[in-house]
Amino acid sequence: MRLKKILLLFGAIILSVVVFIVNAATKNVDLAATMLQYVRTTCILLTFAAIYFYIQIVKREKQRGIVQGIGSVAIFAGIFLGTYLIISFLPLKGFETRDLTLYPRDYQTIFFSSIISIVSGIFAIVSLLFIKDLILYKRKKNTLRNFLILIGSIVITSLSELIDKPLEDSAVSVIFLVIAILMIIVNSFRLAWIAYLPRKEKVYSLLYSLLSFFGFLIILVIISSEAGWTEKGIHYYSSALFTFVRITSIFGTVYFGMSFVSTLFHLPTAEAFDRKQTEISSLHNLGRLINQVFDLKDLAETATKMAAEVVQATSVWLEIIPTEGSFHKSGLMSQRNIDDQEIEAILSGGEKSVRSVVCQTKKVLMIDDISTDAMTKHLPKMKKTGSLLIVPLLSHEQVIGIVYATKEINFGFDKDDVDILAGFADQVAIAIENARLIERSFEKERLQRELMLAQEMQQRLLPQHLPVFATVDMKAVSSPALEVGGDYYDYVMIDEELVGIVIGDVSGKGVGAAFYMAEVKGIFQSLARIYRSPRDFMIKANGALVSSIDKRSFISLIYATINVKTGELIVSRAGHCPMLYIGGGKKEYVKQVGIGLGITSGKIFDESVEEQKIMMKSGDVCVFYTDGVTESRASNGDEFGYDRLLEVVDAHKHLGAEEIKEAIIQTVWNYTDAKGYHDDLTVFVVKWT
Amino acid sequence: MSDFKVTIRSRDNNIHVLELKGYLDAHTTPALEDSFQKMLNEKKYRLIVNCKELSYISSAGLGVFMAFIEDVRANDGDIKMSDMSPKVFNIFDLLGFPMLYDIVPAEEEAAKKFDMTK
Repeated sequence: MRLKKILLLFGAIILSVVVFIVNAATKNVDLAATMLQYVRTTCILLTFAAIYFYIQIVKREKQRGIVQGIGSVAIFAGIFLGTYLIISFLPLKGFETRDLTLYPRDYQTIFFSSIISIVSGIFAIVSLLFIKDLILYKRKKNTLRNFLILIGSIVITSLSELIDKPLEDSAVSVIFLVIAILMIIVNSFRLAWIAYLPRKEKVYSLLYSLLSFFGFLIILVIISSEAGWTEKGIHYYSSALFTFVRITSIFGTVYFGMSFVSTLFHLPTAEAFDRKQTEISSLHNLGRLINQVFDLKDLAETATKMAAEVVQATSVWLEIIPTEGSFHKSGLMSQRNIDDQEIEAILSGGEKSVRSVVCQTKKVLMIDDISTDAMTKHLPKMKKTGSLLIVPLLSHEQVIGIVYATKEINFGFDKDDVDILAGFADQVAIAIENARLIERSFEKERLQRELMLAQEMQQRLLPQHLPVFATVDMKAVSSPALEVGGDYYDYVMIDEELVGIVIGDVSGKGVGAAFYMAEVKGIFQSLARIYRSPRDFMIKANGALVSSIDKRSFISLIYATINVKTGELIVSRAGHCPMLYIGGGKKEYVKQVGIGLGITSGKIFDESVEEQKIMMKSGDVCVFYTDGVTESRASNGDEFGYDRLLEVVDAHKHLGAEEIKEAIIQTVWNYTDAKGYHDDLTVFVVKWT
Repeated sequence: MSDFKVTIRSRDNNIHVLELKGYLDAHTTPALEDSFQKMLNEKKYRLIVNCKELSYISSAGLGVFMAFIEDVRANDGDIKMSDMSPKVFNIFDLLGFPMLYDIVPAEEEAAKKFDMTK
């Protein structure tokens, strides 16, 4: 880019020198349509082409605001006028006019004509480039077209001069001149840029426009006056350039005249416009900032502070109304420059309070004068509050919060404040929703982790392996319906011959159930070794549990001891599903009385517990299970029930404990259409081999 | 999940009947709890729970009765249950509830029992 600039500049200088030499060499000759004339004209065109590209590059490198652009135009006008003034003090002999052709009287005149011509050309190009920026600002459909027609007509008018003698006018140039003038008028109404300027820039724009206007006007007068030699000098250099500069000057005069007047008219509204602009940008910033705050409390505080800034309120407070299922049960408040008593005073009035009104109407409420308004005149006298603006925060048509703003003076809020606070309220409502969603997902994740932990704990409470004996085959399985179920089974070796097995169901599910299960395991592992009789064990276990568990929770348990030498099985039931016994020619549920553990204390329980003795023989099967088996439902809603369980065990009783267990699970699974178990499901099979 | 509904109706002798309908499990227990709480708040302690249209009760549902029975009985009242389907009765029976609660076949019978103790 740098090299290109140097080349362009260098080229422009060389070409100018060439033109000067030609001019000097042909001082007293009318070149008319000779070859040399064409060379000269081409050189001049190329000179300005090079200057044009050079200025384009420089302008692009130094990106500036549009107002500075007008300033640049004014500066270049100044340079032109300065050059003009200096040259006019020099003793130049000027031109002699013969037959519509100009002949310079001395070489100085040729030289300074070149200088003033090049300066005027640069000035015209710079002006057009900057005016182009102004005109194309906020462009509409025809903006660019109109501008290009103008430039086109200026260039054609200028170039048409080339075919004539310097002081001659042709019909073509006149036609295009008319078009150019028309387009100047059309383009001069493109002043959209003024409206968007901040107030300070408008003042500068006013100044620069005025300077540029006078600059163009003076230049126009100078180059149009036949008394001075400048007009002749540029004409002599190139009549096309002369026309170009002149039309550009007309355009500049008209355009900056218009822009001056227009800016002047825009000045009174500049402040309001500025305010709107800052409001919009601050609202945008607020929206962005507020969406980065995820904690509701922080959010409320930030929003309160910002709301106070946007409407310049004396005091602001914000209330976030808790939604159902929200973790903030109490309404969240954030206040600024106001205390609780004052808030309470303003919001008093029960059903007719301003708060209730806003909650019901879901609309903005503005009270211009708190002491006279029908809605608030009953309120006690307030020193600090004259007017009130209340905006509901809405989300899905629900009022999720309310922003209140006050001002000391009456009629403190205007329509703009309402709009801006309403816009702000929308942003805050979205932010609150976001914060709540995030909070909920955090909470969910926390619960998930808790459940995982409980599940792990529960899995550890169940025995990893059951003991293996020569006489009795034992197999068990438990699968929770949720991550954490309430089913429990376990065994304990009371002595070498006696094994105690237990299966139970803790009411409720989840973490609570897992804790009770841990307690049951502790009780089972310790008491079973001390109280060898299942009935005694149940009574002691109930005594331990009834005082420690929640009154709406209970544990159903079935406990059996098996003597692995003799086959003596003693079973006791406390509220649990009865044991299924198939053997000795019988197939039945051993249904004893027995209240669930933890339901009632003392005598009633103790008297209810029974125990039953069974002598197991080869081929006998006992099945312990939880209600997840019998209460499993088919898709039509029917329960699996006791009969089906009995049938499936009976059909597989000749197989090993593992196969019987699998058969039960498989049958239940098929019965429920493999939709997954309805409840926790546990099966414990004991088979005497 | 499934629908559950409690309808409260009053009888003579300051007896109030809670008619349960549907499927009482962990999800639907709050409805029953609220009803019991309402009765207690209104100092109505002579209660009959009519289970005619109760199709299922889970352990959480049973827990609700356990939660309120003490308070009710402490105020010389009772919760009596009636009109259970065999299936629902079986669930109560399995846990030994008949030993703790007055479970009778028909609502009238429960009402009479209250009359006797008046």
